[in-house]
Amino acid sequence: MKTRVLLLITLFLAVIAVSLFSGPSFINPFALDETKKVILISIRAPRVVVALLMGMALGASGAVLQGILRNPLADPYILGISSGASLTAALGIISGLSFLGTFTVPVLAFAGAIITGGIVGMMGWKRGGLWPERLLLAGVGLSFLFSALLMLMLSVSTNEGLRRATLWIFGDLSMSDWARIPYGLVFVIAGLAVCLTRAKALNALILGDELTHSLGFEPQRERLLLFVSVGLMTAASVSLGGMIGFIGLLVPHIARFFLGSDSRALVPASAILGGALLCIADLIGRSLLPPMELPSGIVTAIIGSPYFLYLLRRKNVLSV
Amino acid sequence: MRKLTVLIVIIFCLAPLSIHAGETPRRIISLAPNMTEVLFALGLGDRIVGVTNFCDYPEEARHKRKVGGMSNPSLEAVVSLKPDIVVMTTDGNPKEFAERLRSLKIRTYISKERRLRDLPDAVREVGAALGVRDRAEALAGDMEARLRKLDAERTPGPKKKMLFIVWPEPLIAAGPGTVIDDAIAVAGAENVASRAKSEYPKYSIEAILQNPPDLIVIGKGMTNITKLSQGLLDRVKILPAVREKRIYYVSDDLYRLGPRTVRGIEELKAVLER
Repeated sequence: MKTRVLLLITLFLAVIAVSLFSGPSFINPFALDETKKVILISIRAPRVVVALLMGMALGASGAVLQGILRNPLADPYILGISSGASLTAALGIISGLSFLGTFTVPVLAFAGAIITGGIVGMMGWKRGGLWPERLLLAGVGLSFLFSALLMLMLSVSTNEGLRRATLWIFGDLSMSDWARIPYGLVFVIAGLAVCLTRAKALNALILGDELTHSLGFEPQRERLLLFVSVGLMTAASVSLGGMIGFIGLLVPHIARFFLGSDSRALVPASAILGGALLCIADLIGRSLLPPMELPSGIVTAIIGSPYFLYLLRRKNVLSV
Repeated sequence: MRKLTVLIVIIFCLAPLSIHAGETPRRIISLAPNMTEVLFALGLGDRIVGVTNFCDYPEEARHKRKVGGMSNPSLEAVVSLKPDIVVMTTDGNPKEFAERLRSLKIRTYISKERRLRDLPDAVREVGAALGVRDRAEALAGDMEARLRKLDAERTPGPKKKMLFIVWPEPLIAAGPGTVIDDAIAVAGAENVASRAKSEYPKYSIEAILQNPPDLIVIGKGMTNITKLSQGLLDRVKILPAVREKRIYYVSDDLYRLGPRTVRGIEELKAVLER
């Protein structure tokens, strides 16, 4: 166990270093000219930070949601959060809003995500608590509604900006900028902190509400706390760089193959793996066909899915 | 002998009639914004009975009956307008739609031209199909003359490097194989994005810094592109082109292969000479 954790952390640091110094061209940190300095500090570094934050938020959120919903198919997007965010972002683009400059779209996306999360929470609320099945179904229902509305807008609109915006909706880290990071950072760190400190309660929740109760936790309170922190992390992640699939759903399973189902290890491991995976995917996306960039979301799924399927064949599938 | 004379006379009388019926369609539908512009430039505006939602130029085109989008026109709307011919393009209209029209015995004209060098002949061809050969010849001739003039004025020697931004956030540049790429060459500059492997690549900001353009041209779409570009320009502010304010906003003339294209190249050339 200890060596595996060490291995994971080494991998994580190595990925960060590789992502910073390689790319369309290699940058030697000891021989920087003006241009390379700008590339390293204002273009690559914020991008790596955004990839890490998004990947960590999605990985951890996935692990937590699969736990509180007791469903191996749950992921942060199943709650409709991302489709709500995409919808408000698209509405902002189509109506030409720019009240906050380049912050407009991220802020709208964040607001959309929070509102959607709130609606899902309200729909999932019954008899003084959140119920997993209700949450899941409310999320799926809302998600269909919002995606349909987005598709409707895309198919009737002749707005050129909206069609470009779909690139953002499907995951785009190219506009990562230091100015946007602090806001995302606050929510992701806070969310991660809550999830990590409540990991024991999460372990209990997986076993069922009655056992949770007898283990000394208040199931409804814990579920609400975890749900809110996952919602905030996911909202922050979507607003930083759009939707990245795969990580929230499958990274927790990959972590589970190696470390087992104990949330105390699973949540941080899913966060680290998620961050590392998105970092690598983004590195590949920007290095493969320069000067063209490939969307990170697509690369993530292309490199992640075969590995997941390979593990699925090799290892015993562990339940949530 | 007399029978033969009568026959010849009859044939001569009928011939112009039949040619007339086959060659000049009265009711035209255009499913491509660039072809709509060509048709208006050929003076066929009042014969157009339907266009797509994207056909916004010239102003009159906005007031024509709409038959849907480019990729999803409504077959019912097209048929109900009883067109003599439907003008389409291989660049954006679905092939199946043309087949459906043909199976309904509706004539189609499909434009396959996508590059600048094909433009004058494309105009001649559609003019011939729609019975306005002379006007088409005049328009194509004018284009050719202006393109020849641009060719003649091009000075040999080192070319300025240009980046043509189609959309700033996320950054989309005009890449190889596009009308804009052709236009940059004719205007006498080098397109820094021509090495990309896609027509409209999502362009790497690192690549701009590594291979800095001498000037940046941003195409104005319909949105507030100046405001939208500010974030991008801030991020590449160490570029000489940005520091020395060689950022130019140009019209959307180059976005469609049509009657405005040559004017768009002349605009690019004016920008290069500034």
